[in-house]
Amino acid sequence: MIDFARVQKELQECTKDIEASGIRVTPKSDSLSHLLGTIPGPISTPYEGGIFQIDITLPDGYPFEPPKMQFATKVWHPNISSQSGAICLDILKDQWSPALTLKTALLSVQALLSAPQPDDPQDAVVAQQYLRDYQTFAGTARYWTETFAKTSSLGVEEKVQKLMEMGFPEAQVRSSLEAVGWDENLALEKLCSG
Amino acid sequence: MDDCISSDEDYYDSDRDSLHGLENEDSEIQRVPKTPSTKVITKESLLAAQKEDMRRVMDLLSLREYHARTLLIHYRWDVEKLFAVLVEKGKNHLFATAGVTMIENRSNTSSEASSMVMCDICMEEVHGNDATRVDCGHCFCNNCWTEHFIVKINEGQSRRIRCMAHKCNAICDEAVVRTLVSKRHPDLANKFDRFLLESYIEDNKRVKWCPSTPHCGNAIRVEDDEFCEVECSCGLQFCFSCLSEAHSPCSCLMWELWIKKCRDESETVNWITVHTKPCPKCHKPVEKNGGCNLVSCICGQAFCWLCGGATGREHTWSSISGHSCGRYKEESEQKAERAKRDLYRYMHYHNRYKAHTDSFKLESKLKESIQEKISISEERESMLRDFSWVNNGLSRLFRSRRVLSYSYPFAFYMFGDELFKDEMTEAEREIKQHLFEDQQQQLEANVEKLSKFLEEPFDQYTKDKVMEIRMQVINLSVITDTLCKKMYDCIENDLLGSLELGIHNIAPYKSKGIEKALELSACWNSKANTSDKYPPSDCGTSGGLSECERLTSLNSEENGCSSRKRARAEVVAGNFFDLNLPAEVVDRN
Repeated sequence: MIDFARVQKELQECTKDIEASGIRVTPKSDSLSHLLGTIPGPISTPYEGGIFQIDITLPDGYPFEPPKMQFATKVWHPNISSQSGAICLDILKDQWSPALTLKTALLSVQALLSAPQPDDPQDAVVAQQYLRDYQTFAGTARYWTETFAKTSSLGVEEKVQKLMEMGFPEAQVRSSLEAVGWDENLALEKLCSG
Repeated sequence: MDDCISSDEDYYDSDRDSLHGLENEDSEIQRVPKTPSTKVITKESLLAAQKEDMRRVMDLLSLREYHARTLLIHYRWDVEKLFAVLVEKGKNHLFATAGVTMIENRSNTSSEASSMVMCDICMEEVHGNDATRVDCGHCFCNNCWTEHFIVKINEGQSRRIRCMAHKCNAICDEAVVRTLVSKRHPDLANKFDRFLLESYIEDNKRVKWCPSTPHCGNAIRVEDDEFCEVECSCGLQFCFSCLSEAHSPCSCLMWELWIKKCRDESETVNWITVHTKPCPKCHKPVEKNGGCNLVSCICGQAFCWLCGGATGREHTWSSISGHSCGRYKEESEQKAERAKRDLYRYMHYHNRYKAHTDSFKLESKLKESIQEKISISEERESMLRDFSWVNNGLSRLFRSRRVLSYSYPFAFYMFGDELFKDEMTEAEREIKQHLFEDQQQQLEANVEKLSKFLEEPFDQYTKDKVMEIRMQVINLSVITDTLCKKMYDCIENDLLGSLELGIHNIAPYKSKGIEKALELSACWNSKANTSDKYPPSDCGTSGGLSECERLTSLNSEENGCSSRKRARAEVVAGNFFDLNLPAEVVDRN
């Protein structure tokens, strides 16, 4: 069973220094086993200015087994799949330690954004580009950040806020928005139709 | 068919006795090693088997037992390599890479026991008694440790359970793991013990499980050469290197290819492509059994054998019309020719391989009839009481037959295109093939002669004639033995040796047949117990868990023991070490 007491504490800790770290973890549903992490793109990288969302699923053995993390925001990075958002990071696999937390894991993911490891790639195409033509890589990464990590994800919170003000519960708003590809009008239709 | 060889322990001694004056007597004595270099490790002796290695490491480095085990597991039980690393890189490096940590001056555990401790994993305050500090100095609560251990054991990582702290490389003390896990899941603690013990077999290149099915539970350890053939105490003979049946003088790779080829349908498929053509209507393969090239299938369809095309009415017995099939397909003809040649070549070798294997089976029956003849003769003749030469000759016959039959698959690959095509020139290959075939032929001739003499109804012969047969059998035994040895030498030095390919190693020829592994002596002498430099008092490896508590918990575990546990307890009583007890306890016993 997941140690929910610990997860609760982790969430509290995380909220406490959200100002300093910029890292946010919020529950996606009521069960606490499905969470949403948010990390700001590191400064002076092509990801600067972007807000990246990470889908977190806690396995039954958490914290003795690593959490499953996956980028929900599309990102152009050698160690992150441009298709699925899967992350290639040792601490999320065999180097996981129960002493690590969701926050420290997200900090590691953030560190991965500033220090790609093209020799151990998750996305071979991106890694090739990174090694052979860094300028194009940086351009693409910046463009993806602009397109996917700024307007939409910043907009997402606004959209969520807006729909919640209309009187819908947050979890439902989020799932509807996700289902229709973050289009607030379609989401509203969905919410109204039931 | 394997067990035919295993009888007649005293065969060679008596053979040698009757061979006084024969020139190769001396060399034979030198060649036979005094004790087998292979050992059988049973469930019971598994612990004793690893104690020797552990003791060497413990003595040299003044280590406690579980540290020695951790080091050995890391270095895959290669003591020499472990010592080499020690000499080259030093003790600290050796320990650090294997995850062994020792803190000499640990903080006072008694003060910790009474205070509250913050566990960084569950983020709860716990009483010091409910937390455990491991060798690396990290302290977490017992619940979290237990969870961690259970997850790791279930992941199959029993041999390398690390500390929970991030980036801490230290391997957890096995006693801590055992004690904590057994409180919640005694079965899992047993599993953990077994995993640790079996590391000696599974992570060790000198030890392998016996491949018998159903499994006899034994493992075999070789002392020097991994390329050898052994007989387990369960009676199974096998090649230690590849774990299939004993196959020398074939190399493991050759044997693997050969059994695959024999099992494969590919040769049948080859035959079908060469000898048949599919009917254009029903697509069944049709074989032409004579006559002209107009063939008709049982389904009634007529077709041209040359091109396989269906024929119409104009295509009659007298005229093959509308065909230009003689004009092309040079390539496919060639391909068919090659397939045909390969098939014949394979059939040649397989037939001979099979013939010797079959004779071997038939001659196994000979054993019974010979026993009968011996008993008749023994009653009839009071003068000639020693008939051991018959049995000895028979054993020699079996052994040589084996060598002969496996020499054919060897030749198939040695002189074929599959493995060594680019390694030898055509001329070289031819010379080698002649060299080998001459030897093979000589051996074959003598084996057949030996077989003939052994089949003689010597129980009905006069004394002089029996003596003559006896001399022949003894002579032929010696000759075939020498020839077998020569053939192995030739293969090793002249055929494979010049190719300098490390992958084709063959088990050395054993004149006495496949070596029976000795049961590992179960009484291990604990001569070096006193060298354990750690007095019991300062070895409380865990924060809140004192030595006393550990012992009592171990004892209570012992009381509710399963049958497996009981077996272990008996081992302790018989002056063994029990993995479940700390070294000090065993030493006190």
